Amino acid sequence: MGIIMSSGVKRYFYPEVTPDPAEQPSFDPLLGFPNGRPERVSKVTDAELKSALIPLEHRDFCADLAIDYKRCRRDTFPFVVKCSHEKHAYLNCKYEDFVIRAKEYERERRLKVKAEEAKRRSG
Amino acid sequence: MNSLVLSSKLVNSLFKVTPRTLIAVRNHWNKDFKPRPYPHTEEERAKAAARYGIPLAEYKPYADNGSGLGDYPELPLESVENKDPFYPYDIPALKRNFNEPIHVDYETYREDRVNISPNLPKPISILVLQFLSVMAVSLGLFYFFEDMKMFHPVTPPQKPSDGRVYYTFEKCE
Repeated sequence: MGIIMSSGVKRYFYPEVTPDPAEQPSFDPLLGFPNGRPERVSKVTDAELKSALIPLEHRDFCADLAIDYKRCRRDTFPFVVKCSHEKHAYLNCKYEDFVIRAKEYERERRLKVKAEEAKRRSG
Repeated sequence: MNSLVLSSKLVNSLFKVTPRTLIAVRNHWNKDFKPRPYPHTEEERAKAAARYGIPLAEYKPYADNGSGLGDYPELPLESVENKDPFYPYDIPALKRNFNEPIHVDYETYREDRVNISPNLPKPISILVLQFLSVMAVSLGLFYFFEDMKMFHPVTPPQKPSDGRVYYTFEKCE
């Protein structure tokens, strides 16, 4: 909560080291990873998403689990409580996705701080 | 059967003596509710004033312009809500005394209807000032924090259809 409440104030007073939450990271994603990083791959195609009628805002890297969950609900209705496993897997995937986004933001912020320090040292 | 006979006898006797009584009870109206014709002479005015229980000096009928109010007095208009709540009225629910003349539009200004003379808790200027100051403070805070909106410190949602390459933070061997 505290980090959310102070985010706007930090963005106002320190815009050079506080990334814009509406923009993707500006640094090279492989910077500081000598062995490279595993890419995120979607397990479903756009056609499958379209066919499963997944809403646009949920067509992310957890969409395969969303389809599983939706299919389970359709198959077991009205005993949808049987889909607790699918739901748990889907929500955990959403959580991990959010954590990755938070980590990306923090990485961007720290790289910006480093760049600012380097600029100050040289200038 | 006995009670039926008795009640029919009662009705019959009422009709014989005063059929008017029965009509008044059945129709919720009697001729005494109706105002008398407009008083033209001083004698008629005195009679009307006595009928409504008002001193002759204060008695003033409505203008005789065909509205049909006759000799009904023009009373000062005061909402019932604005009357003293602690006075020991004869009819406390209506804040009214027995035989007290009521305004011709009384039904509009009952306690559950319009209050045309509200007793404000403070002078209207103070109330306006309070309203304006609260609104000014609220709007001031709103505009002061306009470009300090808080947000979740995360990057935008990552979608496979973005055309960008996204990475995890796991180790690559």
